[in-house]
Amino acid sequence: MLQHLFKLIWNKKKQNFLLIIEMLISFIVMFAVFTLVVYFYQNYNRPMGFEYENVWTTRYDNPAGMSDTDSVTEFRASLKQLVKAMPQVAEVAFSNVNTPFSDATIGGGINHGKIQARTNLYSADDAYRDVLGIQLKAGRWFSKDDMGAREKPVVINESLKQELFGNDNPIGKTVNDHDRVVGVVSDMKDEGDFTGRKNAVFSRVDTSNQLWGGVMLIKVKPTADADFEGRLYKALSGAIQNKSIEISHLDKLRTGKNQRLLTGVIIILIVAGFLVVNVALGLFGVLWYNINKRKSEIGLRRAVGASGAAISKQLIGEAMVLATLALIIGTFFAIQFPLMNVFNLATNTYLIALALAITFIYLLVIICALYPGRQAAAIFPAVALHEE
Amino acid sequence: MIHLEKIEKVYRTDTVETLALNSISLNVAKGEFLSIMGPSGCGKSTLLNIMGLLDAPSKGEIKIDTQQTTGFSDKQLAQFRNKKIGFIFQSYHLINDLKVLDNVELPLLYRSSTAKQRKELATAALAKVGLSNRVKHFPTQLSGGQKQRVAIARAIVGEPEIILADEPTGNLDSAMGNEIMEILINLNRTEGTTIVMVTHDEQMAKKTHRLVRLFDGSQVQ
Repeated sequence: MLQHLFKLIWNKKKQNFLLIIEMLISFIVMFAVFTLVVYFYQNYNRPMGFEYENVWTTRYDNPAGMSDTDSVTEFRASLKQLVKAMPQVAEVAFSNVNTPFSDATIGGGINHGKIQARTNLYSADDAYRDVLGIQLKAGRWFSKDDMGAREKPVVINESLKQELFGNDNPIGKTVNDHDRVVGVVSDMKDEGDFTGRKNAVFSRVDTSNQLWGGVMLIKVKPTADADFEGRLYKALSGAIQNKSIEISHLDKLRTGKNQRLLTGVIIILIVAGFLVVNVALGLFGVLWYNINKRKSEIGLRRAVGASGAAISKQLIGEAMVLATLALIIGTFFAIQFPLMNVFNLATNTYLIALALAITFIYLLVIICALYPGRQAAAIFPAVALHEE
Repeated sequence: MIHLEKIEKVYRTDTVETLALNSISLNVAKGEFLSIMGPSGCGKSTLLNIMGLLDAPSKGEIKIDTQQTTGFSDKQLAQFRNKKIGFIFQSYHLINDLKVLDNVELPLLYRSSTAKQRKELATAALAKVGLSNRVKHFPTQLSGGQKQRVAIARAIVGEPEIILADEPTGNLDSAMGNEIMEILINLNRTEGTTIVMVTHDEQMAKKTHRLVRLFDGSQVQ
């Protein structure tokens, strides 16, 4: 029977071409949607790699007239002392503007010998790891001993370590020709829960390029409340002699970041949903039309020995064969994504998305063919044969 | 071979009730070639459809080859038609998207047979109707007479004991009609196939063993 279905479909290739194209486009869209969904789901399931609860970020402008690095360094030390002295503060660290869940990113290139990679660049002081609870995987974090080191110490994350060094130990190795790796930390999902793996390099805060102001990450105790935030604001504005202070809570920034990303995903899913509904209606319509157009054929098949169930199976089978042809073409294109490492996603992300998209298209086709198939099965042969 | 007992067929709509067949009782013997005649709308095709189990009577009983068919499930009816009955229609009912050979193979698809067996049987059936040279043609490439011969090949490919022909020469000119009639007569004579044929053509009917006339759903002869 399968051979018969292929013959029938092949002999009607012109009529079936558009249907195959429609299924193919739906498959490609669903493959893209599922890739996105699987990618986000896999990322969501990865550990955050740092602690954002009870961590606040504070941005401020330096007091007017501060124009050299020595005065900035001195001012920062006093500011840190001031904040740290507050009873609700556990730890304070200076950073650059690309704090977790901010919209700022700083990127650049990094190399180890001939291996090159793109990476996010972070400025951190000695307390940065403690404030964010970043897990140390190898080596050490920065300390006062690194001050004035001949080779600039850097800490890299696991993703970058894997890309530059593979399974080798990176500690003590040179990157960028003059920087020395002193530690490896876990990957941080600092752009939101759904962020993918990104390379990261941490270097000690350089005050020479932060004459404008600074960013502090403050780990507060659970007892820190709005009153404390008010007192903190007051203390800081007194110290910097201006009111250009912005205090944000990482947990709220995280929620906002996730919501913005999810809004985008939901919009994509809605658009894809409309497309699927359109395809489903189109498919349903074509199959329905086919039944009406093929009533005489259905009647004949019933007359020569096909039961109602056999007719229903045949129509669903035809739709499945068409779907299979579309999916073979679609899979050929989809498989190029992992093979050519497009978008730098993991192979299993594409493979899971591929399996889901294939299952989805088959289910869609079965659902769309089921009712017309049942209607065809219910046609009385005598009536169908009468309608030529 | 075919035994009809007080067959009635009523078509009902919300407002109208039409009696298409009124208490028809008929016996068709094994190997008989019977023709049914009557004016348009008298119930000839309805009677043929009921004999062929394509339609169910409103009342009455049908026995084919001593088997009581009332109460058969849809699947049983389909299997019964497949094995016992071949159909020939006025408008051929060929599937234009399938080649001649594939059209003839159609009844064999619904019984257990291999592709090789199907091809052999279909080729043999086409040879019987003189169409061995048209196996790879599509129905649209054939004349009316050739189409009807393909339909006959399809009807006999499963070696049924009964052939029901609904105006098989109705769409053909007299020469073509005679050719088709010859094939049917030959089938009846050589294979012993029981044939029931609905026709409007008195000349064709005269060539059969027996004639049954219907008028307004009732048997008048």
